[in-house]
Amino acid sequence: MTIDSRNRKNARTATFVALIALFIIVPLSIMTYKLFYLDYPLASLVPVNSYLLDINMQVDGHGDDISMSTFLPKTDTRQRILNENNTSGIFSLTIDSDETNRLATWSADAVEGHHNVSYSFLVQAKAIQYVIPDDIVIPKSYTDNVSKYLLEEEGVQIGDPLIDKKVQELFPERTANILQIVSRLHRHLQDDFANRKFSGFTDALTALKLGEASCNGKGRLFVAIARKMGIPARLVGGFILNPGSKRTSHQWVELYINSHWVPFDTINNHFASLPSNYLTLYYEDKSLFKHTANVNFQYMFKTRTRMVPRTEAQEKLSESIFSIIHFYSLFEKVGISQDLLKIVLMIPLGAFVVVVFRNVIGMETFGTFLPALIAAAARESGLFWGVIGFVLIIVVSASVRKVLDWLQLLHSPKMAIMLTTVVVVLLSLAVVGAELGMFELAHVSLFPIAILAITAERFAILEAEQGILKSTRITLSTIVVIAACYTVMESIFLQSTILAFPELILIPIALNLWLGRWIGMRFSEFIRFRKLIFGAQNA
Amino acid sequence: MKSALIKVRSILAKSSQVLSMNQRNLEYVYPNNSRVDFPIADDKLLTKRYLEDASVPFPKNYHIYGYFFDLRTLAKDLADLHDFVIKPARGSGGGGIIVIVRKDEHYWYGVNGKPYSVEDIRRHLCDIIFGIYSFGIRDEAIIEQRILQHPTIDAIAAMGLADVRVIMYNDYPALAMMRLPTRASEGRANLHQGAIGVGIDIETGTTHHATMEGGFIDRHPDTGNELIGKEIAYWKEIIEIAKTVSKTVPLKYLGIDVALSVDGPKILEINVRPGIEIQNVNNKGMRDILSNIGTNSGA
Repeated sequence: MTIDSRNRKNARTATFVALIALFIIVPLSIMTYKLFYLDYPLASLVPVNSYLLDINMQVDGHGDDISMSTFLPKTDTRQRILNENNTSGIFSLTIDSDETNRLATWSADAVEGHHNVSYSFLVQAKAIQYVIPDDIVIPKSYTDNVSKYLLEEEGVQIGDPLIDKKVQELFPERTANILQIVSRLHRHLQDDFANRKFSGFTDALTALKLGEASCNGKGRLFVAIARKMGIPARLVGGFILNPGSKRTSHQWVELYINSHWVPFDTINNHFASLPSNYLTLYYEDKSLFKHTANVNFQYMFKTRTRMVPRTEAQEKLSESIFSIIHFYSLFEKVGISQDLLKIVLMIPLGAFVVVVFRNVIGMETFGTFLPALIAAAARESGLFWGVIGFVLIIVVSASVRKVLDWLQLLHSPKMAIMLTTVVVVLLSLAVVGAELGMFELAHVSLFPIAILAITAERFAILEAEQGILKSTRITLSTIVVIAACYTVMESIFLQSTILAFPELILIPIALNLWLGRWIGMRFSEFIRFRKLIFGAQNA
Repeated sequence: MKSALIKVRSILAKSSQVLSMNQRNLEYVYPNNSRVDFPIADDKLLTKRYLEDASVPFPKNYHIYGYFFDLRTLAKDLADLHDFVIKPARGSGGGGIIVIVRKDEHYWYGVNGKPYSVEDIRRHLCDIIFGIYSFGIRDEAIIEQRILQHPTIDAIAAMGLADVRVIMYNDYPALAMMRLPTRASEGRANLHQGAIGVGIDIETGTTHHATMEGGFIDRHPDTGNELIGKEIAYWKEIIEIAKTVSKTVPLKYLGIDVALSVDGPKILEINVRPGIEIQNVNNKGMRDILSNIGTNSGA
C-alpha cells in the first residue's frame, strides 16, 4: 500500500468516525437541550390509552331513497376525537354542526340490496370530578340560553302534580342549597329506584310511578325534578367505551351549577363525575339514530382499545422558543396531518430494520426498502390484511407479466402495463373489501404502486430464472421483514419519542454508517458455510 | 463449560476463515474495482477488446450488430456459418443466448434440435438490440464462434458447456472451481440453478471436492461419473491466461471464467463481483488466502 493510499484510507476512517459522532451527538444534544432547558415533559412520551370506536350501520334497500342519521361526538375539554373515518359506499355523508350537537346524515337514492356504513374515530377521554361548594344556592335568574333548560318538554312533565308531590317529599324544608338538593336527588334515584335494562322510551312520570327505570327514564325524572327546583338540567346521550361489540347506548344528565354543566349518572352512581370511558355523543332529549322506515336498520358499536401518542409534547414544544417551534403547525398549515408526518418520520427507522435484516441477518427481500414502505402503508389495513393484499398484488401482477413476457414487449411499455395492473388489482381489492364489509382490505389502496409494479417484475424474473421455490422463499422472507418493520414502526413508544424528538431520525444515519462498514458474517452465512465453520474437516 | 468455551473459540476461529459477503464487498470488490471499470466486465465486446490486447484466446466474433440497418446483410453473413452462438453484449444471467450447432438448406438448429429460419434469427437479434435482455438499455448482438468442449470434460458429463472459474486477487489466483452443467440446471453452468461445483487445487489442477445444491457429492448425478481426483487438462495454461488477463484489466479482484475447448482454454467472460459460494465448493475459507496474497503482493 502506498503512503498516498494509506493517507487516503486514514482520511476516510477519520471522516467516517466524525460523521458517526456527529449524527449521534447532534440529535442527543438537541434532545438534552429540550429536556433540561425547555423543561420538556418526559411524561408526555408515555402513550395514552384510547378507544377506537366503530359505529356500524346496516340497511336493506328495496329501490327507495334511504337516509339515516346519528350524532357524532365533539372534541371538548373532557374528550378528544381524532382520526375520524367514514366508509359509506354509495351513501353520501353530510354533517350539520351547531352549538350543541353534530348530526351526521347518510343518504342515497334508489337503494337496492344490503349496505354497510361505518364511521370510526379515536377517542381519548379523561375522567372528570366536580366539587360542588356547599355554600352555593340557586340563583335568581339565568341567561336565556340556559333558562330554556328549566322548561317543561315532552317526557319531562314538570307541571304534573305527582312531580310536585315528589319534590315536597324530598325537600320538605324547601332548601335552596344546591349541594343538598343534588345530593339528595342523586341518592334517591340511585338507591331507591331499581335499574331496569329496558331500551324503550320512559318518561319522567312513568319512571316515578313505577319506582324503577332504565337510564333514560331515570335521566328524565332527574331532569324534571331538578328543573322543578330551579336548576337547569339536560339529558346527555352517549356511550360507555368497553372493548367489544354492543348495541346499548347510555344516557345521563347534566345540571348547570355555578356556570358549569356538571354530570350525574344514577345508573352507575357517578355523582358530579364521569369516568374516562364515557363518550358524550349529543345533548338534550334526542334519539341517537333516525332512519327511513322499513329498511331493516341495524347498528352496532365496536370498541377496541388503542395506544396513541400524547400530543401534549408537541403542544409544549410549540410554546417554547425552540428554533423549529412551528415544525408541526407548519405542516398542518399546508394540510399535512400529524398522522402522516408520524408515518414519514418512522420510515427511516423501518429502513434501518430492513438494513439489519439484509446485512446482518442476511435475509433476501424484494427491493431494498419495499418492506418498510409496505409496513408504513399497512398501518391502515393492519398487518394481516396488508400482507394478504401484498401477496395478492404480487401474484396477480406477476401472472400478467408472464403473458406480457410471452408477447416479448420492451421494458418500459411493459412496466407501464404492470403499473396499470397493480392499480387495477388495488382498486379491485378495495371494492371487494368494501363489498364484503372487510374495510381493512380496502385500505391496501394506499400501497406504493410503482414499487409494487417493480416488485412484481422482479418476482416474475426470479420465478422464471430460478424457479417458483426461490421466488416463494424470498416472498416469505419479505413478509417476515414487513412484519418486523410493522412492529417497529407501529410501536407507540417509538412514535411518541420521534414525534417529541424528530431530531432522533439522525441516529439511524449513524447506525447505517456503522453497518455500512461492518464486515462481519451475516447470520445466514453461518448456515450457508456451516460445513466450513462447524464441520469436522479443516479443524 | 470449559469444553464449550473451546468449541466456541474454534467456531470463531473457523468462521474468521470464511469471507463473508459484507467483507467481500467492502474490502475486496469496492477498493480493487473502480466503478468506471465495471463495463470492462459487464460489456462482452469491451471485454474482448481487453482480451485481444492481452493476446489470450477467446471465442472469435463472427459478426456484431449494433443497429437495425446492420441486419440487412444477415442472410449473407450467416450463409457460411454452420455453428455459432448468439449473445447480447450486455445481457446477464445467460438470458438471450442461443447456441446453433448445425444447419441444413433452410434452417439452423439449436442444441435441443429447435430449427431457426433467417427470420427467426433476425427477430432474436432485433430483440437483443432493442434491449430486451439488458433492462431496456440499447444493446449490441454478438454472433461468435461456438466452443467445442474438450473431450475430457465431455467424458464426465456432456450436458452443456462447463467452465472453470478462477478468482484472481492482485493478479494471483486465490481459489478455483469447475462448474458442470446437469440435467437439473438445464445445461447451464450456474450453481444456484443446480449445476455442480467442483473444487480444484490451484497448484496441481486436480479436483478435490464437489458440491451440488449445497451438499457434497462424489459422482455426477446424471452420468454417475467420478468427479474427484480428476486432473483438469491445460491447467498451467489456464492459470497463466488468468494471470495475463488480470494484469491487463484495471480490475484487481475478479472472477475469470474459462471454457475448455478442443483447442485449449478460451476466456468466456470476467466478473467483478465473483460469488463466495466457491468456498463451499472447495471446502475452504478464503480469507487467509486473500490476506496472504495481499501481503505478498504488497497491497
